[in-house]
Amino acid sequence: MNVPAPTVENTAPGAAVAGAARAPHERFDDELVMDLERDQFVAETSRPVARAPLGARATLALWALRVFVVLVSLMVIYTFFYQLH
Amino acid sequence: MAATELAAAPSIALPPLTEEDLARSQDRSRVHHARTQRKRWYLLWLLVGPGILAMLGENDGPSMIAYASDGAQYGLGFFVPFIPLLFAMAFICQEMCMRVGAVTHRGYGELVLQRYGRVWGWFGAADLTLTNLVTLVAEFVSIRVGLAYFHLGSAVAVLLGLALVVFTLSGGRYWRWERIVLGLALFNGLFLLAAILVKPDVGGIVGALDFTPFPGGSFNTLLLLLASTIGATVTPWMIFFQQSASADKGMTPSDVKHGRYDTAVGAVLAAIFGIGALIAGAALLTHNGSGIQGFAGAGFPEALKHVAGGAAGAVFALGLIEAGAVAILTISASTAYAAGECVGVSHSFNSSPGNAAVFYAANAGVALLAAVVILIPGAPLLSIALNANVLATVLLPVSLVFMVMLANDAGLMGRWVNRRSTNVIGITVIAFVGLCGAAYGIDSFLLSIHLIGS
Repeated sequence: MNVPAPTVENTAPGAAVAGAARAPHERFDDELVMDLERDQFVAETSRPVARAPLGARATLALWALRVFVVLVSLMVIYTFFYQLH
Repeated sequence: MAATELAAAPSIALPPLTEEDLARSQDRSRVHHARTQRKRWYLLWLLVGPGILAMLGENDGPSMIAYASDGAQYGLGFFVPFIPLLFAMAFICQEMCMRVGAVTHRGYGELVLQRYGRVWGWFGAADLTLTNLVTLVAEFVSIRVGLAYFHLGSAVAVLLGLALVVFTLSGGRYWRWERIVLGLALFNGLFLLAAILVKPDVGGIVGALDFTPFPGGSFNTLLLLLASTIGATVTPWMIFFQQSASADKGMTPSDVKHGRYDTAVGAVLAAIFGIGALIAGAALLTHNGSGIQGFAGAGFPEALKHVAGGAAGAVFALGLIEAGAVAILTISASTAYAAGECVGVSHSFNSSPGNAAVFYAANAGVALLAAVVILIPGAPLLSIALNANVLATVLLPVSLVFMVMLANDAGLMGRWVNRRSTNVIGITVIAFVGLCGAAYGIDSFLLSIHLIGS
């Protein structure tokens, strides 16, 4: 559900601060959203973060760990089926 | 930047709002109101949740039976101090999850996927789905064990578990979901009541704090014990869950202090209740652990009834039902968060089912799939339940490594990056967990192919 985007310019100066002093149930939706940090809005969190560069050694270490974990998991799964019989 | 500061900067348009934003803003308004009015206890009440749920959710059916089995087979020695030590380890890991979630407002799955590439994101999601499915089967089994004490069968266990999932999902608000599950989770204290009802020797409990006597038995048995006890304390789903739930709750960097309280309280409660299950199980030690059938029939509660009376048995049985039920809710939620984050669609309890179809479908679907498994005649439920914790331990190190990487990512975390001491402890935890899991996996495999003798 998209609702019209309130803007700060159509709110009286200081209204958000004044609104914050009232209990939440006494406030309007456009005042309530002022309590969200800007990067909390869905529109902001939907934007992907930048890719972090992984060095060759870090990538190698991660793959080694991944292969090792998969191998050990297969051993556990094999043992599980072995014990069934 | 707090949105209230925007008032000083005219002509800054807010992004388009969704129902998720509006629901979260109502929760944040209450937090803001409590903070400005200096209502400390109310503020704490508003901000607790993800930490306690992660920790008490991990005190699930298989975990409590693992602790009780430890007590019944080996007594209190070693485990009374070992369980709090493991939850201290869990605190280190979960505090990182909470902090990354509060600072970035994003879940673990989406951050790994976006920051380090799709391959690593999907690997993590696959690990999580596998361990969650196996663990969920074990949760339904533990509910069945508890219900068997009251002469109720598997069908009731399935109906109860699924009804709870549907009921908690029906509100369309994170706050409602969290408070219902939190209320249920507090009944994990039934294990402490069971411990009191078996009238334990307090001197014996205090005397066990020196880590002795060390459990005897074969090397493989010891490794299994370590792997399953670690798997009863720290698991991949907790990492996904607490980070995503912290973001869904709307936590911000200003809430990190309360997030730490939340996680610490959860760890302390979980350790106390876990020791409760251990003490209750230890009541069977003097009876040579006789009558314990683990996950078969009414297992532990029935055995406890013969040793410590009907009240202790009934309380333990109710505890198993609660532990299984809460874990079904939290583990299903972690699967749903991971599915929504990896697919890149809405993943919040604050969204309606229509707007977050993948999230809701994954949440109910994984629970339904596990429920179907326990209704299959002749399914090896006992083996599945016993191996659930071990599999989680084996797969955990990769999730933990990415967690530490995210918590050290200055580009994401700014001044909230890990301290050096947190990194040292975190890496030690990863090494310990990895070593125990791998040692058990390799040793068991070599035993099963007869390359080494038992």
